[in-house]
Amino acid sequence: MSRFSENFLNQIYQEKVFLSLSSVLGFLCVWYLVTDLLQLMPPIILPSPEKVFFNIYEKISIPVGEEKLFGHIGVSLVRILVGVGIALSLAIPLGVLMGWYENLDALASPIIELLRPIPPIAWIPLAILWFGIGLGSKVFIITIGVFFPILINTYLGVKFVEPLLIKAAQTLGAKDKNILWEVVVPASVPLIVAGVRIGVGLGMMCLVAAELVAASSGLGYLIMLGGDDLKPELSIMGMILIGVLGLIADRIILGIERRVIYWKKE
Amino acid sequence: MAEKTKRASRKWIISVLSVVGIVGIWFFLTALAKVIPPAFLPAPQHIVIDFFRLLRDSYVGNTLIGHTLVSLQIVLGGFFLAVIIGIPLGILMGWFKRIEAVVDPLFQLLRPIPPLAWIPLSLLWFGIGIKSKIFVIWLSAFVPCVINSYTAIRLTDPLLVKAALGLGVKKQRDLLWEVAIPSSLPVILGGVRIGLGSAWMTLVAAELLASNAGLGYMMQMARRALEPSVIILGMLVIGFLGALMARGLRALEKRICPWVVEEEH
Amino acid sequence: MEENRQKDKLVAENVSVFYEKDKKNFLAVDDMSLAIQEGEFVVIVGPSGCGKTTFMNTLAGLVRPAKGKIFMDGEEITGPSAERGVVFQQFALFPWKTVFENIEFGLKYRGTPREQREEIVRKYIQMVKLEGFEKSFPHELSGGMKQRVAIARVYANHPQVLLMDEPFGALDAQTRTIMQEDLTEMFMTEKRTVVFITHSVEEAIYLGDRVVVMTARPGKIKKIIRITAEDLVPDRRQLGYDDVVNLKEFRDLKGEIWGLIKAEILEKHIL
Repeated sequence: MSRFSENFLNQIYQEKVFLSLSSVLGFLCVWYLVTDLLQLMPPIILPSPEKVFFNIYEKISIPVGEEKLFGHIGVSLVRILVGVGIALSLAIPLGVLMGWYENLDALASPIIELLRPIPPIAWIPLAILWFGIGLGSKVFIITIGVFFPILINTYLGVKFVEPLLIKAAQTLGAKDKNILWEVVVPASVPLIVAGVRIGVGLGMMCLVAAELVAASSGLGYLIMLGGDDLKPELSIMGMILIGVLGLIADRIILGIERRVIYWKKE
Repeated sequence: MAEKTKRASRKWIISVLSVVGIVGIWFFLTALAKVIPPAFLPAPQHIVIDFFRLLRDSYVGNTLIGHTLVSLQIVLGGFFLAVIIGIPLGILMGWFKRIEAVVDPLFQLLRPIPPLAWIPLSLLWFGIGIKSKIFVIWLSAFVPCVINSYTAIRLTDPLLVKAALGLGVKKQRDLLWEVAIPSSLPVILGGVRIGLGSAWMTLVAAELLASNAGLGYMMQMARRALEPSVIILGMLVIGFLGALMARGLRALEKRICPWVVEEEH
Repeated sequence: MEENRQKDKLVAENVSVFYEKDKKNFLAVDDMSLAIQEGEFVVIVGPSGCGKTTFMNTLAGLVRPAKGKIFMDGEEITGPSAERGVVFQQFALFPWKTVFENIEFGLKYRGTPREQREEIVRKYIQMVKLEGFEKSFPHELSGGMKQRVAIARVYANHPQVLLMDEPFGALDAQTRTIMQEDLTEMFMTEKRTVVFITHSVEEAIYLGDRVVVMTARPGKIKKIIRITAEDLVPDRRQLGYDDVVNLKEFRDLKGEIWGLIKAEILEKHIL
């Protein structure tokens, strides 16, 4: 790249960074202006930024409901982790077997196709009826949400694996079950991981939904409580934390993806 | 060839048997052996009975169709608003780097927050009426529309642009309309489809939380009254409608983008 | 006619294969019979789409013929096996395994102990001249290198019959020539039975003991041409590719075979 074009690109990049930063700052300023300085919005509707941050700081030591802030985060984490764990251990094996054995596919498909279109959130009332307001109902919803994307992706990955790879393995002497685990599953890993990514994203949404509707702890509960108690700073705090949690989860999965699919070019 | 049809019909038989088997076990456990109490899971025939009952009579204020229409109206309202605003915004963001630079960071900040999480705040701002629900639904459909539009435009094949330039297209605006937008349509419509699914999910959540009509409300009330058959009915209707809307959109996509090659499924 | 009856290694008896397109059945291979001797290098040529690959797939056991049978060592085959190794045109390397792991696949599967495996794999990596790339992944290799891995992988597995489907088709001309010479060298050091498909008539004559010319679809055997020591210089395989290609006998054979194929193309209006 010539010096000239390099400088030019740097300029554009700098301009972009400048604009981005100033827009974020501008947003914060407007927010601050509207709430604190000009007092255009009553704090009940929209609290000022400092109030939100102060609230976060405060809630680390002062409990809300039954827990302090980290307690709530912990509870939400446990729910999502358990839900994802159960979903993974069910969906991947089932997806692999369904993709490989046609008869199993025919057996399980009807019920899966019936249940799949139902949004996991629609299961909430039933879950509450069955499991009450404890850990069970939330884990149930999250599991359902995470389960289907992973199942579908795994199934597709196995069923539509490149047939050439199977032929190659056969002509090297491998037989049925070994081909499945030695060739087909490794070849499907990219799709499976993509499914996990989608599933976890969906799982986060289910977590929030379940905690909004029927919980007495957790980040979703905080968000809901903020609305109920007319303390929007609580809600905003919960929302920010959920957003951060989601970002971290996504990054982790991306990292896993990169590790597990080490053989693909970028 | 005979083998293929033999396999296909065998699969059919297994599927049918599977359905019959599951319904049979269900019926056995609920109606015959009475191992599962009706407050927990109704016998299969009750669901069918209740389906026809709710078509005729009201349940918590509306018939089944009434609740469905209420839900649909809200969803489609918020959804269309999202599409009308989101797609143009996404396109502009994708085409003009300056606009992207200004809007994008705000977007990325708000994006990780699940639209559902906005519900309590929305209730606080707009009250328990329709406005608060439309806001959240709009938000949930808005994000995928913008992101897909913007990504698609950004990834317009530069080769196509060069080809257009070489054929005499001069103005930026023409390049946008004649090359970038058409080539991005498949992905944009994909985003629309995601947005609809997202909107539908958010609607259900919103109705579960704060509503006095609609399918979600109906399910909540049924839960309180310990009537799981109505809950299940609601779930099936929601699932069915969601699938129907997705199918409809896919058919629309095929009409608008006839040049797209369909994948296996 | 053979002077001495050698053992029939792989025999195709009245093999016919159908394929389905748009809900109709078409004949891909029409009643082909071929007996391949042990240690022989048979090359199959023919116009595009004539069914060469399909026929080879039946020899491998990957496709069940609608009619006819395949025998190996006198016994009917029932499916693919490590004894009929296949080198595919599209390489078919396992992308998540390194070069070393790809080549050792068959050996590992049948339980060959680790030390022995390593020895064998290293021997074949040397043979295909890929030293230093043991830990590389397929996506890091060029087309020619990938093909060499595919060949080494099958060779290391020691199949009795080697089936190669246009293995050099994806390579550029220079790599191709080198690979042909390498293959000849390998064939001479470790004689095995080879069935080889190619589009290139020159390649066929250079490599093969017999050249089977197929008709256009549905594929039948049009003519089998023997490349014996009398037709070409006795030790043609000892010579380099360039030297052989320019011999008069070679050009005559090439003319004859190409004439047959061209006739098929024109007659059946393939182009």
